[in-house]
Amino acid sequence: MLIWFLPVFLVFLMIGLPVFFGLLAAPGILLWLAGQEKDITLLYRNVYNGMDSFPLMAIPFFMLAGELMNKGGITERLVEFSQALMGHLRGGLAHVNILSSMLFAGLSGSAVADTSALGSMLIPAMERQGYTRRFAAAVTAASSVIGPIIPPSGIMIIYAYVMGESVAALFLAGIVPGVLVGLGLMLVVRLMANRYDLPKAERIVKKGQALTAKEHWVSFVLLRLNLGWVFFAIFRGTTGIASGEEASAAMVWGTFAVSVLAAHVLLISLRKTIEPDFRTVTKRAVVPLQTPILILGGILLGVFTPTEAAAVAVFYAIVVAFFVLNTMTLKDLPDVLSRAAMTSAVVLLLVGAAMAFKTVVSLSYAPQILADYILGLSENPYVLLFLINILLFIVGMFLDAGPAIIILGPILGPIFTDLGVHPVHFAIIMSVNLTVGLATPPMGLVLFVASSVAKERVETIAKAILPFLAVEVLVIFLITYFPAISMTIPRITGFVD
Amino acid sequence: MALLRGLLWPFQTWNDMLLPIGRWISIAAIGLMVVAILIQVFFRYVLNNALPWPDEAARFLMLWMTGLMAPLAYRRGGFVAIDMLIEALPKGLGAILSLFLLVISGFVLAFAIPIGLGEITGFSAKFNTASLYIPTALEFSEWLRVPRWWMMMSLFVGVILLLIVNLELILRTIIQLMGGTVKELTPPEDEIMAE
Repeated sequence: MLIWFLPVFLVFLMIGLPVFFGLLAAPGILLWLAGQEKDITLLYRNVYNGMDSFPLMAIPFFMLAGELMNKGGITERLVEFSQALMGHLRGGLAHVNILSSMLFAGLSGSAVADTSALGSMLIPAMERQGYTRRFAAAVTAASSVIGPIIPPSGIMIIYAYVMGESVAALFLAGIVPGVLVGLGLMLVVRLMANRYDLPKAERIVKKGQALTAKEHWVSFVLLRLNLGWVFFAIFRGTTGIASGEEASAAMVWGTFAVSVLAAHVLLISLRKTIEPDFRTVTKRAVVPLQTPILILGGILLGVFTPTEAAAVAVFYAIVVAFFVLNTMTLKDLPDVLSRAAMTSAVVLLLVGAAMAFKTVVSLSYAPQILADYILGLSENPYVLLFLINILLFIVGMFLDAGPAIIILGPILGPIFTDLGVHPVHFAIIMSVNLTVGLATPPMGLVLFVASSVAKERVETIAKAILPFLAVEVLVIFLITYFPAISMTIPRITGFVD
Repeated sequence: MALLRGLLWPFQTWNDMLLPIGRWISIAAIGLMVVAILIQVFFRYVLNNALPWPDEAARFLMLWMTGLMAPLAYRRGGFVAIDMLIEALPKGLGAILSLFLLVISGFVLAFAIPIGLGEITGFSAKFNTASLYIPTALEFSEWLRVPRWWMMMSLFVGVILLLIVNLELILRTIIQLMGGTVKELTPPEDEIMAE
């Protein structure tokens, strides 16, 4: 009887019942019909217990950090920096759009935030340069899916929680696939630039920009500390000096101080070779780009859990917006907090319902029955992974990544883990595939946002996005069949055995 | 129609007045969550003293934030759903389908209320939280260990508020089906649920 919960749920979903209610109504009705009222109580209890979680708290925090950064005017700085790096290429602004998405992905875990923040700035700019509006919107939408692939990522936090994986391992596994998607999109732009003679752009738009003294000094110090840290790590790693338990604090700090000094000397010597405007633009990007360093660095060094890293990111964003860049006032704060709270409330409730749903999934033997069916199709994991990618892609066309992961993770995850696919590898396949689904018609959330930002019809953007989607599908298959792409970084850092 | 409008009025007024209060509490809650975790990080790494309460306090706040904010999101259409079919159907049929879906959602919520009540008065609610205390005297001489049901109330209250919103939405849909007009509830575009 209980096995019917899946078809019932799918019918509810297709006719438009909110996912939250569907996740509870389908198993609830069947349990009620089967006279298992006690288990309905279990359903309610699991919603509550599912939400009562410390790791999940990273979701509201990362959303808040993203909102603060966005409101705090960092988007403009990232775009300027990307343009200074890639604007001079043919199809310059399209490249800038993609690079900005990659940088923005390190600050936010949301594709929608990426599309609306970058789209409202870059789509009009691209149009002024002679790109068609649909092309500009398509590049924006296609590149914004990098947001939840490069850490931090809301989707991966949800996956890790629902499936009991390590958030840090998933975050680290997402870095290379995210960069790969970005490079793939740039390749498409490069090919199109030759064919359609796409224009180059100025590397520096605002010449002679001044930096406030505060921002100058903050970026001055941060740049030296970061570069110094890199020197310090390389020095310790290669010579073994000032590393290990026996090294005294004075030795460690002394070595670090010398490394920072070396970084300072290097930067000063490079100063004359770099154009002043380029230097200013780079300095303006230092403060925002410190966020991913803080988050990933903190997690990698074992200083913070992902939730703590997210709270620290919020703190950093507040300091930056209120005291360094002075782009926000106290008046703006309630609105930002409210938006982060509302978005996370919906997601948290959904995760709670998913945990309840998961209980029914395991009670119903659905995974075993499905596993038998899937294994009946083929016993070759490569063939099955191919088929599952197609299934996920189709699901992604209709459902947002978060809910899709919540529903399918508990059903598909165990099957593939039993087949010998590493859980983290499968998590990445699933996350990347469903994230790309955010930009596919007919129900791509990112397409809708791009359409409203660009004031262009969804259908038109959907056509223009096809070459970019083709590359993204290619990347999905690359990460499926070459596990090393996603697994190397978590393995090297010891987050995966 | 007048009867329907009369019925809608108390629900609409309740939601108009109470949900913004919930929103403000949630705003405070999310802010305090950040503060609690930052205190935890500071004490653990700077003062080398792992505090027991910030983790639980932050979860307490997160649960209440969810319970109080979700109804507002639901009212503004912020719950994720595939609304392709509703959009594709002729207007009248679409409204009938919406009504049907609202009734199912209403059943889920109505079913949850007695269960929720059972939970907050049940066995596990009799325990106290592990580390949360509040002062019960002005001079901080007496402290009360926070009972677990204070935390469990969050989902129960959330379900009640969601049900009230659901009833309002049902009445609105019926009024619209009968050709009447109702007040716009959709959120500003940038407030739609972000993925």
